[in-house]
Amino acid sequence: MSSLLRLDDVHFDYQGHRVLRQATFDLEEGSCTALIGTNGVGKTTLLRIAAGALRPATGQVRMRERPMETIPLREIARTIALVPQQLELPFAFTVQQVVEQGRTPYIGMLRGPGRSDRLAVDRALDLADVSSLRHRIFNELSGGERQRVKIALGLAQQPQLLLLDEPTQNLDIGRQVELIDLLHFLRDEGIAILASMHDLHLVDKNFSTVLLLSPKETNQPLISGSPEQILKPSILERAFQCPPDRHPLLIERAELYRKEAR
Amino acid sequence: MAIEIATVPTTHAPAAGATRRRSLAPLAVNLLLIAGLGLMTLASLGTGAVHISPRAIFAAMFWHQPLSETERLILFHLRLPRVLASGVVGSALALSGLLFQGLFRNPIADPYVIGSSGGATLGASLGITFFSQWSAFGFSATALLAFVGSAATMALVYGLARSAGKTNVVTLLLAGFAISTIFTNSSYFFELFDKTGTGNRVLASWLHGVIGIPAWPELAAGTTLLGLATVAALPLMRTLNTLVLGDEYAQQLGIRVEVARVAIILIGSLLTAVAVSLGGVIFFAGLIVPHIARLMMGPDHVRLLPVTALTGAIFLMLADTLARTIFAPSEIPVGVLMAFVGGPFFLYLLRNMKRSYSV
Repeated sequence: MSSLLRLDDVHFDYQGHRVLRQATFDLEEGSCTALIGTNGVGKTTLLRIAAGALRPATGQVRMRERPMETIPLREIARTIALVPQQLELPFAFTVQQVVEQGRTPYIGMLRGPGRSDRLAVDRALDLADVSSLRHRIFNELSGGERQRVKIALGLAQQPQLLLLDEPTQNLDIGRQVELIDLLHFLRDEGIAILASMHDLHLVDKNFSTVLLLSPKETNQPLISGSPEQILKPSILERAFQCPPDRHPLLIERAELYRKEAR
Repeated sequence: MAIEIATVPTTHAPAAGATRRRSLAPLAVNLLLIAGLGLMTLASLGTGAVHISPRAIFAAMFWHQPLSETERLILFHLRLPRVLASGVVGSALALSGLLFQGLFRNPIADPYVIGSSGGATLGASLGITFFSQWSAFGFSATALLAFVGSAATMALVYGLARSAGKTNVVTLLLAGFAISTIFTNSSYFFELFDKTGTGNRVLASWLHGVIGIPAWPELAAGTTLLGLATVAALPLMRTLNTLVLGDEYAQQLGIRVEVARVAIILIGSLLTAVAVSLGGVIFFAGLIVPHIARLMMGPDHVRLLPVTALTGAIFLMLADTLARTIFAPSEIPVGVLMAFVGGPFFLYLLRNMKRSYSV
């Protein structure tokens, strides 16, 4: 498998303090990765750096072995799409008009959207299951509907790598499962996924790799591995600064590993 | 701090499901507006102390029935330049309002609120007081200085509102408003320098927003600039749609945000300068017209461009005709009239926004 995106010893500062340290990892084409870590540890920052929206203070980001800063914005936008946590629009755009913006990297300044653009928008709406919402006003949708529209917007870019910032936030358990199914479908289509996940229950069976960002005190800020390797009570306890006997997830995981040991 | 504005006020919200939001067919709307502009022009030309019927105007144009000498004089030397100027001013204000509202992602942005008209006012006051005889390439010093003032103020306001790579919209509006007020009022000091007193009267009426009777070259220059700015704005309309998602998102979609932003600010400043140099300080027109256009066409900027330009022209022609007729024989500045129409509308928008302010 070849490397789609590589971060090499990336640091990032925000208003004087360091948000991200020594971030090094490699995403392969078609991989499916969860990004976990405590609140404020830099998950969103990491995703924005991966999308080329932020430049790291030091270190290097490479897309398909080329330094990110040398690649034209439009080319990055055709390869990587970031689905943000929040999207607020100042005007009453319809869902279709919002998703059409995903075609921006394919449309010239004077030429309007063509047939291939309309097809891509239709397919994105279809995949994210929001075709029936296409004429609704985006700002009037529920949180779950908005989430799916944001994903459709990302898919309209026809990316090779889809970055998602807390995609299961605001979703009920039924919609969470639908979202996971969608991510699996996209992975099967060959699209690599990197999603920051708040709900660790959803990480275990659904992602092939886990990236764990740890707070400042630890000397290994970013570790990666399979869910079995990373989601160990001892590791989570330290990374999330959570007493092992206080959260059901940690108790559950501890039992699981005890059973396996037997 | 973030502002979210739920929706542009509309009369109805669509029912759940796949209801289609009604937006009118663009071609039909544009044709209707062009017809409306023609009718408005005729009506404005005919209205005033001396009434000249549209029939008489047509008869003079097509059937060789010449108007009387007085009528000719009134029509071609007084009314026609003024009516055309009000159309140009209306279009320019409305378009700059559209550009600024889109760029700053804010429905209450307009050249006055954002500060560009304050800068244009200061520049033009300088021109009126000190360089009234000077001109270059057919543009008066007043017009040129209005443009410089407008663009420089936008750069200043924008710089003040920007920190750590982000533009805080509330800071932007407040900074714009403060600078606009300072600059508009500092124009009054030029009266002190004006020994002859002729500039004074020009300046005083102009600060209240009076569309005078422009000389033909001045009107031609204004119209040309309006045309150029509109053509230049055309390819940026799709970019404005993308910028609605936010600066960072637009960049992720491949837009070179800084380049687009500079282009939009320059065009918006040029339009403000055109309006200010022909009509002085006219509040709120740039704010209201884009909203009327959105009610007709929805928020897609590509469709909004022609509709906003045409509606702006009709709107200000109507306002200026009213301004010179409702208290006939005396005349109120159109800027004063607009303040009374636009002020309440602005407050209405503000109330609508308040619910969705989040701090």
